[in-house]
Amino acid sequence: MNPQLQTSAPLARNKSEALRSLYNGYAAKLLGYIFEVVQNKTVAEQYLAAVFNEVPNEIEELSKAGVNVLCRLQIIARRKLANFFETLDTETERKAGQNMPWVNNRYIAQMTPLQQQVFLGAYYQCKTTSHIAKELNKTEEEVRKTLNECFTIIRNGRNDERVH
Amino acid sequence: MKEYIDSGILEVFIMGVATDEEVKELMYMKAKYPEVNEALKQLEIDMEKIAADMALAPPPGTWDKIEDEIDDLIRRETYTQPVKFRTDHGHNGYEKTAPPEQFISIESESNHMRLHKSWRWVFAGVFVLGKIFLGFAIYFYLENRQTQQQLQELKTEIRELKKK
Repeated sequence: MNPQLQTSAPLARNKSEALRSLYNGYAAKLLGYIFEVVQNKTVAEQYLAAVFNEVPNEIEELSKAGVNVLCRLQIIARRKLANFFETLDTETERKAGQNMPWVNNRYIAQMTPLQQQVFLGAYYQCKTTSHIAKELNKTEEEVRKTLNECFTIIRNGRNDERVH
Repeated sequence: MKEYIDSGILEVFIMGVATDEEVKELMYMKAKYPEVNEALKQLEIDMEKIAADMALAPPPGTWDKIEDEIDDLIRRETYTQPVKFRTDHGHNGYEKTAPPEQFISIESESNHMRLHKSWRWVFAGVFVLGKIFLGFAIYFYLENRQTQQQLQELKTEIRELKKK
């Protein structure tokens, strides 16, 4: 009998169970996030599968104490989605991809146009703050500060909901 | 400390675009100052909240497909390559369930080809037939050479007899 198979089989089973558990806990949130970007259900599902195909290589990182699994999975998704923006062929598609008018989020609606541009760029379009700063002709510090303001708006919105 | 928290560094970190130096600094600050740790936790809750707001349940059977793909990847002992999915913008899967023009291109750098097991009998047959033909070719070549030699000897004998 192959000794390698003997030792790796329980490990593979554990990995498989861990993956299943991650899928049950985060697939819906990830699919929703990916769908907001690609606006196509089939493509979103393919990206979701691509993210989970990557997870076995990251399972140790995801299992570390203090690691936020959703944030980590979203980072993997952003890496994958970076390719999506490269495939936008026409100028119209690229412009639509920049402004993302289809994003219908009540928190984003409360942001100023600058805050929206920064948030959409960082959260959905996988851009670095230096990239966004260059595009908006701002300093990186200003962009980071704006990003912080965006999250303050989201948090305040959440707290308001709790009060009501 | 408030200035550090409000600088946007936490947001940049949570989106996975912080530099290695920034990550190291943040890990140090998080361990040393409980308010940084608390702010980071708050931010993670914000991210969870946004994701929960846009969550979409994957269709049944998605996990089975993902599991098959992962098993296949493990079997082939390959790692996932960057994947690009393309879409015709303006149509999402909820309006059009089977987009006919859509295509997916998956880049693969594997040089291996997978064949059905039954092909091994075909290859074995071709190999055996090749050996048989080679045997026949050598046999006929030697036979022919011997005949040529005998013919040459006969001709010499005839020539000698004619001289006498």
